[in-house]
Amino acid sequence: MLTLEDIHTYYGNLHALQGISLSVNEGEIVCLLGANGAGKTTTLMSICAINRVKKGKISYLGRDITKMATDRIVKTGISHVPEGRRIFRELTIHENLMMGAFTRKDKKGVQKDLKRMYDHFPVLYDRRQQYGGTLSGGEQQILAIARGLMLRPKLMLFDEPSLGLAPKIIAQVFDIIKEINQSGTAVLLVEQNANAALKLAHRGYVMESGKIVLEDSSYNLLHNEQVKKAYLGAE
Amino acid sequence: MELKRKFLSNKNILLALFALIVLAYPYIPLEGYYVSLGGWSFHMGIINNNYTLHVVVLIMLYMLLSMGLNIIPGYTGLLDLGFVGFYGIGAYTSALLTVNLAAAAFPLSLLGNFWVILPLAALNGALFGVLLGAPTLRLTGDYFAIVTFGFSELVILIVLNESWLTNGPIGVRGIAAPAIGDYVFTSERAFYYLILFMLILVIIFIKRIANSKIGRAWFAIRENEIAAEAVGINIIKYKVVAFAISASIGAVGGAFFARWMRFVSPDMFKFWESVLILCMIILGGLGSIKGVLAGAFIMTALAEILRAVLPYAEELIRPVANVELVGARYAVFGIVLIIMMRFKPEGLFPETRVIAEMHPSTDAILDAQTDTFWDKRRT
Repeated sequence: MLTLEDIHTYYGNLHALQGISLSVNEGEIVCLLGANGAGKTTTLMSICAINRVKKGKISYLGRDITKMATDRIVKTGISHVPEGRRIFRELTIHENLMMGAFTRKDKKGVQKDLKRMYDHFPVLYDRRQQYGGTLSGGEQQILAIARGLMLRPKLMLFDEPSLGLAPKIIAQVFDIIKEINQSGTAVLLVEQNANAALKLAHRGYVMESGKIVLEDSSYNLLHNEQVKKAYLGAE
Repeated sequence: MELKRKFLSNKNILLALFALIVLAYPYIPLEGYYVSLGGWSFHMGIINNNYTLHVVVLIMLYMLLSMGLNIIPGYTGLLDLGFVGFYGIGAYTSALLTVNLAAAAFPLSLLGNFWVILPLAALNGALFGVLLGAPTLRLTGDYFAIVTFGFSELVILIVLNESWLTNGPIGVRGIAAPAIGDYVFTSERAFYYLILFMLILVIIFIKRIANSKIGRAWFAIRENEIAAEAVGINIIKYKVVAFAISASIGAVGGAFFARWMRFVSPDMFKFWESVLILCMIILGGLGSIKGVLAGAFIMTALAEILRAVLPYAEELIRPVANVELVGARYAVFGIVLIIMMRFKPEGLFPETRVIAEMHPSTDAILDAQTDTFWDKRRT
């Protein structure tokens, strides 16, 4: 459903993405691995046009979205859960969730989804009038994911959802991502935590300084000597 | 019975009383009296003469202007140092239309009518707001502040140099007072009600827009631009809208100012005015309507009080040091702001959102330590 063909992105003179090609199919979880600075976040930012692509083509559900503005891309159903959570600290939980549905016009559907989020994450309901900044790290990640779900997305981009969370909480967050995928949403997951991410994903890509160096099923990647050494910790 | 009790709550009675005082203020006869103290005689009490009424009108004008500026730093989080440019554009729009067209033949004379000028000035302000904002709002932080500062200087330079239109440094004189039919606004009392009416309209307008989808988009942009983009807010569009609204409120204030003073000159729209208005909203509390109104009240009143008090202080310290203190009110404003920044950085009447941000509770940390959240999650 999402295809990137030979994507080049620059930060000023820095050639951050040097010809990325990848694809996400319907109902799939695809993970993007790589060291710091490999360009994983930039890839996600390029997909939703927060960073402009210089060369290459991004198509989504048969449409060319390379030149589309971010808000239009979001409207087509790509939800981006950015790195470091980036919830709105001075908006209440309720307002945060409503911001997730900013581009949606169907008020009834939004209310239904809001109820669904509260049912699914009771802690958000208990604190709906509190400011986002008062939540703990794990709760903020949940809020960021729930905000992303309020779009009723067909594709969700997760950027380091496990960043700065306790191991027990990471497991819970990954469970939630799995649930989201099982309900029919395709997922593109960027992770440092390669082990957990590969166990969750169907396929994976490995990035190194702006290029994709490896592409395989997650089972093969988990047992690939090179990947084991570089990202999983040698045994 | 229940309804009656609700209606007659203390808060409502106080509000009604306040509204009554505001409405009747120009007619309350308060006489001042003199107190003699060691050779000097002080004027005490509030006297309701043209001077105090003039100051109150000035306070309300600054309230209106700070409400307009507040949209930019308060709601969208951008530093705008060029607000006075829009104020000046509004004032000159109003002044020039009045002087040149009020006495013209019928259809053109409409353009010299105050009630037509108000929306025209607002539109003109919005137009310049969009012209300035659309290309520059991509800039962030200090760069944007510098561009706006440059803009307000540019407005003054154009007014100074294009004297065929603006009469240059001499300014525009003899601007007719506003009128409704045959009734001409000549007394301060009339202007008091006019600016009160305009201020109330602006407050209602801003309250409504802050609670709308546009307002929520502004708050989101103020807090986190990337997250705002990620949820699908067109950042540039909403910033330009904010800029246009802020500019048009500034221009409306200017349009009133020109017809009230009946004289405008480039000196009135110097950079200092922008800083003063910015100080008002920071003193009161960025983004809070109550705070902004309080800030404008305190700063304008303080300026007038200092104007009266500083000559006395000058006389007092004359035996010790022979200094001129009249210009020292700017220093006093500076000291007030420094004290605020040290002890109450969020302002006098901050928005609850900002309090939460500046004084984070320890709850979040406690929650992170206990696992209550994860136990609550339904499996």
